[in-house]
Amino acid sequence: MALAVRIGRRLSLSWQGGLAASLVMAVSTQPALAHAAERGFVLLLPTGHYRLGGALAVLASFLLLAFVPPRALAEQARRALVVGRCRADGRVTASLLAFLWLVFLILTGWFGSPDPLSNPLPLFFWSIFWIGLTIAQGLIGNLWAWLNPWTSPHSLFVRATGWRTPFAWALNRLGYWPALAGFFAFAWFELVYPAPDDPRRLALVVGTYWLFTFFAMLVFGPKWLARGECISVFLSFVSRMAPLACDTGRATGTTLSLRWPGARLVEKGLPFSGALFVLFALAAVSFDGLMHTFTWFGLNGLNPLEFPGRSAVIGVNSIGLLVFFTLLAVVFFLAVDVGERLAGGTVSTAEAAGRLVLTLVPIALAYHFAHYLGALLVSGQYALAAISDPFATGLDLFGTADMPIVAAVTSGADAAWIVWNLQAAAIVAGHILAVAVAHVAAYERERDARHAVVSQLPLALLMVAYTVFGLWLLSTPSVA
Amino acid sequence: MRKRPQFYRKGTGMIDATSNNRSNRNGLSRRTALKGIGAAAGLMAGPGFVRYAGAQTSAPIRIGFQAHRTGIGAAYGRWYERTTNAAVKAINAAGGINGRPLEIVVEDDGTDPKRGAEVVEKFANQHKVDLVFGTLFSHVVVGSAPTAGELKMPYYVVSEGYHVASGKLNRYVVQPGITDVRSQVTSMAPWVSSNLGRKATMIFPDYAFGHDHRDFFTAAMKAQGAEVIAQVAIPPTESSFTRYFPQIPRETEVLYHVMVGPAVLTFVKELGEFYGSNRPEIFGFIDSLEAVDMASPGLEFLEGTYFWEGMPRYLQADVGDAERAYRDAVGIDENGASKDDPQDVSTAAHMFGCWETLYVIKAAMEAVDYKGPQDRAKVIEATEAMTEFPAGLEHPQGRKIFNGKIHQCFGHQNISLVKDGRLEVIHRTAIEDGMYQPEADYTSMSF
Repeated sequence: MALAVRIGRRLSLSWQGGLAASLVMAVSTQPALAHAAERGFVLLLPTGHYRLGGALAVLASFLLLAFVPPRALAEQARRALVVGRCRADGRVTASLLAFLWLVFLILTGWFGSPDPLSNPLPLFFWSIFWIGLTIAQGLIGNLWAWLNPWTSPHSLFVRATGWRTPFAWALNRLGYWPALAGFFAFAWFELVYPAPDDPRRLALVVGTYWLFTFFAMLVFGPKWLARGECISVFLSFVSRMAPLACDTGRATGTTLSLRWPGARLVEKGLPFSGALFVLFALAAVSFDGLMHTFTWFGLNGLNPLEFPGRSAVIGVNSIGLLVFFTLLAVVFFLAVDVGERLAGGTVSTAEAAGRLVLTLVPIALAYHFAHYLGALLVSGQYALAAISDPFATGLDLFGTADMPIVAAVTSGADAAWIVWNLQAAAIVAGHILAVAVAHVAAYERERDARHAVVSQLPLALLMVAYTVFGLWLLSTPSVA
Repeated sequence: MRKRPQFYRKGTGMIDATSNNRSNRNGLSRRTALKGIGAAAGLMAGPGFVRYAGAQTSAPIRIGFQAHRTGIGAAYGRWYERTTNAAVKAINAAGGINGRPLEIVVEDDGTDPKRGAEVVEKFANQHKVDLVFGTLFSHVVVGSAPTAGELKMPYYVVSEGYHVASGKLNRYVVQPGITDVRSQVTSMAPWVSSNLGRKATMIFPDYAFGHDHRDFFTAAMKAQGAEVIAQVAIPPTESSFTRYFPQIPRETEVLYHVMVGPAVLTFVKELGEFYGSNRPEIFGFIDSLEAVDMASPGLEFLEGTYFWEGMPRYLQADVGDAERAYRDAVGIDENGASKDDPQDVSTAAHMFGCWETLYVIKAAMEAVDYKGPQDRAKVIEATEAMTEFPAGLEHPQGRKIFNGKIHQCFGHQNISLVKDGRLEVIHRTAIEDGMYQPEADYTSMSF
């Protein structure tokens, strides 16, 4: 029998080292994706019931809200219980420390281990910061206002040089467009670029982005962080759903108050570019789930069991990210538009959408939590170990360098059950909160209870559908 | 006070050679290899150490470990790394290679062929390693091999693919630590046909991986005078299987399955629902359930069925000293899970290949008195000249025969019965069961 291995030419890839183009061949005998682990066990659970239950819970919340006087809800949303005050404004000090920490991490990224699971930079950047801090923002409040690495260097530079911002006036005209462009680049780097974990490349990207932002602050003023810098914009939106609000001003000092979760999402509307920004944030985290599903692979004619790697799907996933975002934005604006027409509203669709779009923030955070929980639990441990030996020199600064990594913390039937239930609970709770916040936001605009209910009908249906979609993403076969 | 001996690790700084191994109660951390180097250096600095003293250079031998740290191979990659670290530690503790300690440089290939090629290039030009080792996923091997050939970089893979033996790669690619899938599948046929049934039906995913099993096993059964009476190909994106089961002929005596991916548990569950207690004999490749606890809920139906295992996952009653030492060194318990975390089931059927490959590298380098990159081709030639690896601590999976012409080893395979949620080895094949007629000769290729 002719036993020539079936090696077919699949992809022609150019080789950057000047070597002849190498051919990546589709090969036989690929070791199995043994990693049946987590998702395999989830597939055995009655996830269809969860989808139905989740949809009903969100729908029921909407119906229930229709009978609650929205004025009472709106009043509750405005309530703030001050729990602490202090004169100090520690933002500059905290930001300076964060800046120094970032410099240190960039150095470890450049000079430390090339292994992304031993180098502190990718572990801290993607796990502790991007996953962990985002969740903390939603639960605790705007920590980023203190911990961003720009406020302090900028203010020190301005104080030392007497620098005057030349184009501060231009910032308002730019809207959230720069932030949207930045966030697209960020999401593309995270989701599509082949090697976002590579320590050196990450060090280069993070360092360059820090410099870019610093110069943008010199040109447009410190408000660039609130309007043009995508991470700060995203994290500040997320922090608006936290039950803890921290208001800091030079004159007033720091005030800490308790608010209803999501209450501050109704405080002010966003311009069109801001609405698109929020929609993109939700689209990006949703697409991260979608692009790993067997369904997505099937749609694109790829075999998920022999996934050829990120570099083979750059085009497909770049377009996919854009298309998914466009679809979500169109459906959202349509839902708002239809709702306004049904209720006979007095404002434009864009304005209504700008008011309502922040209600998607709890959903985005719920997706963020659900999708990245496992990664945080495992990579968080690697981060703890790596930080004890930041440059891979054999140090053990905190006694954690040799800690055993419990990599299977999310594996096995029991863990899969717990994780799935946490994810499902987060998704459903996020949508219910979104429905409630949208109800209040709608009332706040027109001050009309009937309008609040009727205008929200299409959006509520969208949220029910998105609940089902979210739970499906977490329970359908996918590539790890 | 005497200064504590230290050892300079090229490119990364100083290592405290006397640091104790406090964390390694059971398993191995990611830094164990590094510590092994430190320990070896400590020996070097100590008085009366003869082996190292004779070495002309004490600079470490740098091995680039092309690791699946991220991407679809990450679960396997983790265990490949642990096994590699354990082997490096053992080799360094025993004096290294030619008196030189081994140093592992890890680069993540993202389980991506294009990045794999980039990583090989980085190993050669940036990290200046002596050779590259450790790749598992076949498409990464095939994507990286041309670069290894271009850069004249020895590339020792642990991927069990037939692509090495097929002759389609190049002279710098060697697979001496793990048998290839053709050999594995072929060697199953004699026992399966004599003990489980002569009429087999195969269920496999409908792509190259499944097709190899289909073709190799069908041919091997025929050679035994037995027959594969039906071949049920399942589309790779399928997540429910019940509608395919009626394609299994009633006269099937043994069902051969190699389903893979996240839906494999669903496959087992639905197969159980389809057959109930009245089933044919069932035989599968553990690839389906590598790293999955056999006692997991949903797998009850597999009780009394059989699996191929490259190396036993569960500690067997008749385990030998070498295998026990290997398991202890890697840090796996009697269930083949991490001693630090019983949930973390190892990829035992494959990962031993890293251990054994490093010992082959050591033997080849010592045979040519390896001095540096100028001797790379000699290392390949020395490997090609090898014919047999005796069983023992260096080859805990068992004796191997090596065919230098096709750069591929041949060895014993295990057939295990699922009993009380564990895998119990009930048959060990002869090496000859998996031999086939070579179709290539790398030694005729120039360097």
